[in-house]
Amino acid sequence: MLKLENVDVRYGPVHAVKSVSLEVDEAQIVAVVGANGAGKSSLLRAVAGAEKINSGNISFDGRPVNRLAAPERVKQGITLVPEGRQIFVSMTVEENLLMGAYTQDQVQIRSGIEAIFDRFPNLASRRHSLASVLSGGEQQMLAIGRAMIARPRLMMLDEPSLGLSPILVNQLFELILELNRQGISILLVEQNTKMALQAAERGYVLELGAVRMEGKASDLAADKSLAEAYLGDE
Amino acid sequence: MVFTQQLVNGLMLGSIYISVAVAFTLTIGILNFLNFTIPALYMLAGMVGWSVSYYGLPFGLSEPLGWAPSLLVGITCSVLASLLVERFTYRYFKIKHGDSTEHAIPLVSSLGFLLIFEYAILGAHGSETRGFHTPFTDLNWRFADLVISIPQVTSLILSLCIVVGLSFMLKKTRIGRALRATAESPDTATLMGVEVRKIVPIVFVLTGLLCGLAGSIFAVNYSEVSPYMGDHVGTKAIAAMVIGGLGSVWGAIAGGLIVGISETFSIHFFGASSAQITVWGLLLVLLIFRPNGLFGHNAIGKGKF
Repeated sequence: MLKLENVDVRYGPVHAVKSVSLEVDEAQIVAVVGANGAGKSSLLRAVAGAEKINSGNISFDGRPVNRLAAPERVKQGITLVPEGRQIFVSMTVEENLLMGAYTQDQVQIRSGIEAIFDRFPNLASRRHSLASVLSGGEQQMLAIGRAMIARPRLMMLDEPSLGLSPILVNQLFELILELNRQGISILLVEQNTKMALQAAERGYVLELGAVRMEGKASDLAADKSLAEAYLGDE
Repeated sequence: MVFTQQLVNGLMLGSIYISVAVAFTLTIGILNFLNFTIPALYMLAGMVGWSVSYYGLPFGLSEPLGWAPSLLVGITCSVLASLLVERFTYRYFKIKHGDSTEHAIPLVSSLGFLLIFEYAILGAHGSETRGFHTPFTDLNWRFADLVISIPQVTSLILSLCIVVGLSFMLKKTRIGRALRATAESPDTATLMGVEVRKIVPIVFVLTGLLCGLAGSIFAVNYSEVSPYMGDHVGTKAIAAMVIGGLGSVWGAIAGGLIVGISETFSIHFFGASSAQITVWGLLLVLLIFRPNGLFGHNAIGKGKF
């Protein structure tokens, strides 16, 4: 459903993403792994429309989305849970969810919000508190809840496990699998390579902005050279 | 009694500062941009309103009803002028340089617009103070020695209603949330589907409306307008905003009233030239004890509405 062909992203002299081609199929989990500064975040931001691409082509459902602004892509069903969660700390938990539902029909969002609160009781009990009082794990749940409420067909997550305890990381990956079972395609960027490749069907290894390896996630996880380069620090 | 009368006068004067201070605080809070054109927008409503009523209106709309449509034309001019400023300061530099708030250029450009608007009016109408007449200039309530002007009370209530309405809009409506989200993080707001490019002109329309309204209130209550009227209110409104706390709507209300009251008392006790010294002295002393103002938060653009 998502297809990138030779996508290039540059910031001035920095060539962040170099001719990356990538595919995510319907209801698939795809992981993009790689070291810091490999261009993973830039790649997701380019798909979300938050970053301009310099060349190449991004298509969603077979239609090019290159020229669509970020808000249009949200309406098409592409959402990004950004790195560092980026929840609105000046707003309440509920207002954050309302922002996630910004492009949705305003009459129907109430039931959507209740569904999110049913799923995350921790958030429900603080719906009228400022989001800044939430713990790191709760903030991540809010960030994902905020993305869920936009009814995405493709959810991209940028380093969702960053800063979470091992228990919370397990819960997070369970949630990702659950979303996937509901039919949402997932494009996951992670430094936690092991977990990401376990959850994913297919994977891409990004190095200095370019795809170095791609294939079945289980093959990548078993790859010796990759293990030395990226998984050794696990 | 003198004390109460000065307090009443101060509150009435404050009602004008409130709207202008809120205009300043909105642009700072949401766009991180000190819009120097605001005093000119205030002046435009008054001066354009005056000139429309002076040169007469069609359809028999002149005296005694002419003041209302005249001021409506004035307010419309303020809004249009504000959008012009948006187009050529904020939006232009945003497109050219990405984040315009990192540059002093929009600020300087808005200062340029202030002078251009002021001198355009000076060129057209000269520098004289002009009388602006409404049928209810002398409508007063009298309690013993206390004189309360009915138009002024109406203006104060109107200003408060508009600011409270604005605050409600920011808190409870979809567009208000989008404005606050943009204030906190334009990047994340975009990812939520907010079209930030369309949000920015809304801020400028609100700025024009608030300033136009304040200018009209001044014209009605003080029965005079001049090309320099914006200069007097501009500095006081900035002081009111800082006293209340940058980016806080409620702070702007408190700041506006505090500045209005301290100004009238200062003039009463120490003479006309003391007003600025009192207001800015108060501001400097307050900032020593409360660097963020009365209702301010420490980070600009974070959680103020």
